[in-house]
Amino acid sequence: MRPRRSLSSGARQWVDRILFLGPATLLLVLFFLLPVIVDICIAFTDMGRDLRVTGFTTEHVERIAGGDRRLPQIILITLTYVLGTLSIFNVSYGLLLALLTTALPDRVGGFFRAVWFVPRASPSVVYALLWSWVVAPTNYGLLNQVLAMFGLPGLDLKSDAPMVVVILANGFIGASFGMIIFTGAIRSIPQHLFHAARVDGAGALAITWHVTLPAIRWQISFVTIYQALSLLVSFEYIWLITNGGPFYDTTVYALYVYRRAFDNGQYAYGAALALGLVIVGIAVALTLWRFFDMKTLLQKPRIEVH
Amino acid sequence: MRKFNGLSVLFLAGSLLAGATVPAYAEDIIVKLWARADRSGPLRAGNIVAAAEPLNAALKAAGSDKVIKVQVHEGPATGFDADALDILKAFAVNQGPDVYVAAHEWVGEFAKAGYAMELEGFIKKHPWAFDDVIPVLWESTRYKGRIHAVPQDSEIRMFFYNKDHLRKIGKSEAFIEGLPEQVEKGQFTMQDLSALAKEVVDKGAAKIGMIHRPNAGPDYLMTFAAFGAKFMDDASGQLLLPLGPMRKGLEWYAWNANNGVTPKNNTSMTWDEIQTAFKSEQAFIFHQGVWAVGEWQLGDAKGNTWPKDAAGYFKKIGWIHAPAEVKGGQPANLSHPIVYVVNPKSKNAELAALLVAYASLPYYNTKHAATTAHTAIAWGQKSMPAYENAWYLQAATPMLARSTFLPNHPDFGRYNSVLFKALQGVETGRLTPAKAVEFLEDEMTNELKNAVKVIK
Repeated sequence: MRPRRSLSSGARQWVDRILFLGPATLLLVLFFLLPVIVDICIAFTDMGRDLRVTGFTTEHVERIAGGDRRLPQIILITLTYVLGTLSIFNVSYGLLLALLTTALPDRVGGFFRAVWFVPRASPSVVYALLWSWVVAPTNYGLLNQVLAMFGLPGLDLKSDAPMVVVILANGFIGASFGMIIFTGAIRSIPQHLFHAARVDGAGALAITWHVTLPAIRWQISFVTIYQALSLLVSFEYIWLITNGGPFYDTTVYALYVYRRAFDNGQYAYGAALALGLVIVGIAVALTLWRFFDMKTLLQKPRIEVH
Repeated sequence: MRKFNGLSVLFLAGSLLAGATVPAYAEDIIVKLWARADRSGPLRAGNIVAAAEPLNAALKAAGSDKVIKVQVHEGPATGFDADALDILKAFAVNQGPDVYVAAHEWVGEFAKAGYAMELEGFIKKHPWAFDDVIPVLWESTRYKGRIHAVPQDSEIRMFFYNKDHLRKIGKSEAFIEGLPEQVEKGQFTMQDLSALAKEVVDKGAAKIGMIHRPNAGPDYLMTFAAFGAKFMDDASGQLLLPLGPMRKGLEWYAWNANNGVTPKNNTSMTWDEIQTAFKSEQAFIFHQGVWAVGEWQLGDAKGNTWPKDAAGYFKKIGWIHAPAEVKGGQPANLSHPIVYVVNPKSKNAELAALLVAYASLPYYNTKHAATTAHTAIAWGQKSMPAYENAWYLQAATPMLARSTFLPNHPDFGRYNSVLFKALQGVETGRLTPAKAVEFLEDEMTNELKNAVKVIK
């Protein structure tokens, strides 16, 4: 190969870096970093409904620290929602689906996975409307129609157990994410490990416990962290199905931020609350990263696979 | 390149010459109108668009070469509060309209921010358009005592009651037909209303005793007003939070929810479910405004067919104010005018205001009133055939005598959303009335600071 004359190798390296990392960095700065900076700025202003800034204040941060009596309740609701959805559906149920559908013949397994993928593929508004119809407290609600077939009285889950509705609705969507990742991971486990385990006399449960689960450990860690963070900031289905109610019963933190900022026009206080979410998000991500030892996952492989 | 330059010079010279010899072309002026897309009042925007025609004719007659064209932006917001926030956002980024439609209680906020033109002089200058406007309506457009908007319509909020349900539980015709008068005289109280609704439910005539709007809005304010709540101090212009009357109002809602009169999940129902419950005669009382008559009560909307004529309708349905708190007290109802506001910063502000003047003429306003069952803005409209034919408007107009308005305070939107949250809290059983009053005081002092004065 002829030596490059136009650029020294050092400069070339820089150009390569910019070419490869530039677009992603630009996107990160524009859509992740910059909004955080704007948010920090707004959080310390007095911006109200007319979007004018006339001065700077720490009033909003102080209000979060002590003045807002709704906050403790909101945080508790958020924890219930995130932990409930995550542990029951996004990880456990996703894993169960992956294990069961990979154990089935390919076509049957694929069919069930496709069924579980439908909620994720449907538009949020349509999906939320379907849920509203399912749990509608009238005789026309799907759930109540089914109950009526067995002679049971109708339920009003949206009023009596709104958190259950919210967790179910989010979980049915969330489960498919874990399912897809775990299915891929299970598929990539070398078959000879299963054969060897069977030769050694391991049953299905033992194989799952001693072969499958250790092999997909990283995927489980990843799904847990990723889904915990997305649950923390998502509220669209809650907003569409229960609207955060009744009263504040399903108003999770992210929805609370939205309500304060956009329903009441308290943009600065909303920004300050959102800042809290940014900080909590980073803290949760770092803690889980440490807990799951994700650093090891990102290490360079020590063996070379041919 | 050179050739191109030569051509453009020729073109420029040509157009300059033409400009010097040919009379000037008419000057198109775009007036931007912002109105929420709302099926309960499509002519709020439509009348401004139509008013361009007489205005253009007048301009032409006066020898002006200006031609007004109205460009309509229909906001998708779900209510007037959300729409007002959208308008404020649009103004903040210099995309605001020249003229816009708003709920009257937002006039204060817009005027404070400098987006609502002071119209005292304009209104005096154009008596042909404004002289006959019902005087009490101007009260709803004042900010710091000065008129900052033009009323677009008015309305009456009320309790609709189903007379057939009362017949089913054995009430006499005299009682059924005499109820509005008993309420008017202050002989039939809020407690009596709850008890009557409970009786209807207990005796199996209806599944629901009373049903109301599911979201924040003006309706329930008249209930609190009936319990003696005053929302603003007229002299100082400060918002008031009278804890005593608020507690009584919340206790009334709590009693209704706990005694099977109002469904505990009323605030999580959809509008459709609520309206259908009343229309399909599962609910005895429905609380909203007269325009509901035109929108879905007559004919066969919402799962049932009701008579379209006055005699048939009033045989089935009756209207009452919010009754008095105690015997001999005053009943209350609420009128919630929608208004036109002109942006003073618009370079076409004067023309936009003239459009409003033309759109306020009886010919246009009556079209809106009669087609959407809103009461008129001018006395003279009552004698117009279209208005006379709209029997429900004729029937509602006398109720205007008991009307109260929402305070035109910039923070009233927030005040109202806190009050609604408290109401939702007691109805769903999440708060006791006592806790709800604490919630009100805590939230309002936190949110509104000195703008609200708590009266213990």
